[in-house]
Amino acid sequence: MVHTTVVGNYPRIGDSHDEQKLRRAIGKLDRGEITESDLRDVEREVVRDAIREQVEAGIEVVTDGQVTWYDSQSHIARRLAGIEIDGLVRYFNTNTYYRQPVVGSEVSRRGPILVDEWTYAASVSRRPVKAILTGPVTLASLAKDQHYGDRKSLARALSRALAEEVAALVKAGATHIQVDEPILARDGSDLGLVREALEPIAAAKGPAELTLFVYFGDVAKIYKDVLKLPADVIGLDLVEGAKTWAKVAKEGADKPLVLGAVDARNTKPEDPKGLASKVRGLRKVLDLDACYLSPSNGLEFLPRDKAREKLAILAKAAALLGDAR
Amino acid sequence: MSALLTSTVGSFPKPDYLLKARTRAAKGDLTPEGLRELEDRATLDWITFQEDIGIDVLVDGEQYRGDMATYFAENLDGMVVSGLVRSYGNRYYKKPIVVGELRRTGPISVEWFKFAQARTQKHVKGMITGPYTMMDWSFDEHYGSREALAMAFAKALHEEARDLEAAGAKVIQVDEPALATRQDELPIVVKAVGAVTKGLEAKTILHTCYGNYDAIFHYFNRLPVDQLLLEMSNSGLDLLERFKREPLKKEISFGVIDVHSHVVETEEAVRMRIEKALSIFHPQKLWISPDCGLKTRSVEEAQGKMRSMVAATRAVKKDHGIA
Repeated sequence: MVHTTVVGNYPRIGDSHDEQKLRRAIGKLDRGEITESDLRDVEREVVRDAIREQVEAGIEVVTDGQVTWYDSQSHIARRLAGIEIDGLVRYFNTNTYYRQPVVGSEVSRRGPILVDEWTYAASVSRRPVKAILTGPVTLASLAKDQHYGDRKSLARALSRALAEEVAALVKAGATHIQVDEPILARDGSDLGLVREALEPIAAAKGPAELTLFVYFGDVAKIYKDVLKLPADVIGLDLVEGAKTWAKVAKEGADKPLVLGAVDARNTKPEDPKGLASKVRGLRKVLDLDACYLSPSNGLEFLPRDKAREKLAILAKAAALLGDAR
Repeated sequence: MSALLTSTVGSFPKPDYLLKARTRAAKGDLTPEGLRELEDRATLDWITFQEDIGIDVLVDGEQYRGDMATYFAENLDGMVVSGLVRSYGNRYYKKPIVVGELRRTGPISVEWFKFAQARTQKHVKGMITGPYTMMDWSFDEHYGSREALAMAFAKALHEEARDLEAAGAKVIQVDEPALATRQDELPIVVKAVGAVTKGLEAKTILHTCYGNYDAIFHYFNRLPVDQLLLEMSNSGLDLLERFKREPLKKEISFGVIDVHSHVVETEEAVRMRIEKALSIFHPQKLWISPDCGLKTRSVEEAQGKMRSMVAATRAVKKDHGIA
């Protein structure tokens, strides 16, 4: 039967008093009432909560919920040499904002970026924890470049730094690595650059399973070429990328896919039966046993209770797919 | 109306006593009537402040609103307010959910408009959160089409605009901060805002901010309003060159105050921004405003910024012999 996974982030606060502990702790840190180390403890508590909620829902490959991430761009960029973090910019077509990285000099990895966070998450999870990295081309496209003068050179430099991080993650024990390149859904002409930037990462990933995930839109026009990118698994947003679904159904895939079929940007609940039957329609063109079912993107755009509901729908649909065979 | 009128975008910061009262009210420790009394007081204070410093077109300051989308959502049938979702960093908001047919069961902001307008001889703006933004900032469990949902909001908000007009509003502002989110949906913005402003006698203003203006520039003249209120100072005034080449056929409210900075602009700095605006726009078609609502600033910062804006506008008018 199809496997289950998530795409990355998870709502870090909910509506109950207990679920708002991270929000309170950050407020207290800002007011000087607690230390960085106190905040770290609370973050770790929330990481445990996020993992527990995924596992309880029945997700096989989980994430740490990216609980400590200020946003998808600055969390990685701020730990690289050559980059400063600036003001807020809208993140794609979402109603969320990221702090824009400003590249002022040569970019390099000066130390571990995600290794410590991944190591902790893995130590408290009985399921594999997937390490998530924002892709070099998306990072390069959303940053302000004041040094390289062209986006390609910046993407290449970021790629080299992230490849080192991937090697470190694998050395620390990561068996699942995911690189996110939502930019590819906005601009298919970046395909060549994404391929080039992915190569050093693919070379560094060792025995780990490397997923490339594209969300916030479709890749229908470049679908065949996306499949050829140097990744073991290709993750696709099949909600905003409904056009990609038609391509998958028609042309199949010669490698495992993550089918991002549960809408992670709207609260409307899917019918698990309908979803299972739609996915079942792909079994002639896909080896579903090697594929994953997932939300269409990170769950952080939903309130926490709705995110839990979506995970339950996802797991139910996956179970129905298993039962029917 | 005379030239170079001053106005603001809509929201002012809530004073400490009101913030505390809202927390108490949320916990049930303060009655709605008790809260309302303090909202009245804060609104009156802001009206008095605007009168005192000499702002030309006033706002009620939105002391009674939490989030600009949630406020309308709470007052429309067919909507519920969801749990918290993250906006950025440690900021979260309650995103509305459309769960059924949208319907306005009665006036939403009209009573507050009347309250404010009754306390000044100057015009007070009627303030509406735009249909496209309401759609983009809500979950949709009912309509299944972004355009259909935007038009459903437009219908309800048009009724609100009509009622504001009937209550005496001579200026009605439609806020569309989401306008620049998806370029391919600009035709929906035009259609939905048009459905709100259709047939209104009042001067209509559309406000937007913090987007990629360059990409939406070609749509500015198509927006079905009399005036655009644009954030200009935070964008580094880059847009001016483009306006030189491709003139705006409408009036403009020109943002000269950065609302995201704690620093109160000097009168001199604001004067330079106004001079730049005057080099491109006719004074009769140019209003002076902050970039956006001031609610995220402290009361002192907001007041300081407004004083700089009014003083700078007066100085420029004097220099140019504008009445």
